[in-house]
Amino acid sequence: MIEVIALLGLAALFAFGVRKRLALVGTVTLAALAVAIAFVIALPAGAAGEVLDLPWRMSELGRLAAVVLLGTLCLLVLAVWVDEPAYNFFPTALVVAASVLAVLVLTTPIAIYAALLLGLLVPVGSFTFQVHRNRSAEAAYRHFSFVALGGCLGMAALALSASLGRDQPSATFVLLLVILVVAFALKLAAIPFHTHAALLASEVPASALALYFGVLVPTTFIAFAQILLLSGLLPAIVQIGKVQDLLLALGIASALGGAFLATGSTELRRVAVYSVIANLGQALVGIATLSGPGIIGAMAIALVTGMAATQQLLAVGTLERRAGADRPSATTAPLAALAFVVGGFAMIGAPPLVAFPGHFFVELIAYSYAGWMGTALVIATLGILLAQLRAAMAIFRTAPDHWRVERKPIAGIVGALVFAALLIGGVQPDGFLRPIAAFADEFLRALHPL
Amino acid sequence: MLLLAIVAITTLAANGARQLRYMAVAFFGVALAAHLIDDGGLSAARIVVTSGAALVASAILYIAARDRRFGEDPGWRLWIATIVAAATTAAAFVYLRPATGDEISLDLLGPDPSGVTTEVAAFWLLSSGIAILLTARGAVRGSLGALLMLTGTQLLVGLVPGPHLALTLLLSWLQIVVALAGAFLIVNQRAAREA
Repeated sequence: MIEVIALLGLAALFAFGVRKRLALVGTVTLAALAVAIAFVIALPAGAAGEVLDLPWRMSELGRLAAVVLLGTLCLLVLAVWVDEPAYNFFPTALVVAASVLAVLVLTTPIAIYAALLLGLLVPVGSFTFQVHRNRSAEAAYRHFSFVALGGCLGMAALALSASLGRDQPSATFVLLLVILVVAFALKLAAIPFHTHAALLASEVPASALALYFGVLVPTTFIAFAQILLLSGLLPAIVQIGKVQDLLLALGIASALGGAFLATGSTELRRVAVYSVIANLGQALVGIATLSGPGIIGAMAIALVTGMAATQQLLAVGTLERRAGADRPSATTAPLAALAFVVGGFAMIGAPPLVAFPGHFFVELIAYSYAGWMGTALVIATLGILLAQLRAAMAIFRTAPDHWRVERKPIAGIVGALVFAALLIGGVQPDGFLRPIAAFADEFLRALHPL
Repeated sequence: MLLLAIVAITTLAANGARQLRYMAVAFFGVALAAHLIDDGGLSAARIVVTSGAALVASAILYIAARDRRFGEDPGWRLWIATIVAAATTAAAFVYLRPATGDEISLDLLGPDPSGVTTEVAAFWLLSSGIAILLTARGAVRGSLGALLMLTGTQLLVGLVPGPHLALTLLLSWLQIVVALAGAFLIVNQRAAREA
């Protein structure tokens, strides 16, 4: 596995050197990502090893998430190469791919955390553009601050909890767990820690936004669940109800707040970003229930939301570019507009897409936990539905005499590919949910060790 | 104890510096003193890797400054950051120090196998970093805050039993990436301001 991560790192260095030769850098980036995906698929289940005494293991969830996230990165690279050449994007995508793989295979919580922070910091380079004309530099700085703050606090809390004996006062563990949860809330842009995401949503290029919300945010969520599992802190969470309550409160605040903000947004990119935040809130509630269906639903929502976010944000980028100074409209880029609307189906968890089981499981378990909690999640989903409908109506408000497909319809193609993948997953949910169920099984065993 | 005092003084120097270049030099002093604190697990490999990374991070910030005068005036933020850091360090030490019941004996120059010096230095750096980062107006002090926090985190990670060399390497790379991202933001913010 270290060879693949090293290959991606070397490819990133090479891509940085030749980043202005678009054909070469695009080919190298896509080839390196394809090799990484092929290697992950070919690796036998449960393969494990050590690098400098640092253990790694390819779990079933790790393999599924790696294929989904690296596949999403491939689509992003293709879209940037064809439609929106941004030189810094290619090396950034490769470093992010290496970090994602490291996060998914490492089994030492602090190492997972460090790899995650590397991945979260690298896109700072692709967030800034035309700094004289917009606030992208400020948005990138705010992202940097949130990641540094949350990252260092979380890693310090993990290190302290690992060096403390288990016979410490419960107040110590409560404090450390609260710090860890807040640290992840900062990185996941959970409400009320979402101010940097709001600025990012309006100022940075759509492709960089898709890289963050489509790949890095789902990776952060998976890392959170893995760190909880591997750190040995889960029994403490069960014993101390306050941490579970904090997770539930953050989840519900994000689900309802995200949906509310999405409903009030007039910009397409904000609708997509706040829908992601609302869905991650639902996923946080799923994890916080500490139940099998809740965990399965949470991980499924995180992965599918990432794909839908990529689909919608790439479509937004195309619509904005084609519209110029006017409002984004389907008349200038009908396929991209269609991709945005179809992405909304995945955002709300509509059947028959594979987005449905995740939402269904989490809402069901929330109802069994408390009636008001299930109702809150259903209201959040209705809010996202309303926001997506408003956005779709705004795009299709005006219709031309005859529809003409846009030149370079890459956002439409990416949208079709993502939709096809989600549809296949929905028809055959076993292949998608089984690896997540295996992870949930491990998680539940760690909750109640013998 | 002497190294702890050096960490505290150099942190104040970095925090109070108006010029980015002085800040970068002071940060190198902070990192070097912090990584030389002997908690019984100090090794030559660890010192070389951590000091090398700190040197590279400082050099990146030094170069990003481009001229001697460029920086950010801390003003009242210096005092707020110092007071908050001192109070938080004391609180963190009280609440988060392991309840081992062992007697703590501190030596001015010798090693401290109890890890108390390392923990105090780590809490000081973390709380100083948080205070600087939260009160920063731009990427200059923001980068310093992030690097101080990461140095504190490195000290705490060093106390965890496990693959020390691998974690040291990983965190050192992270420190360089933080410095690079910080320098990139400094250059961009400066360009935006001067336009």
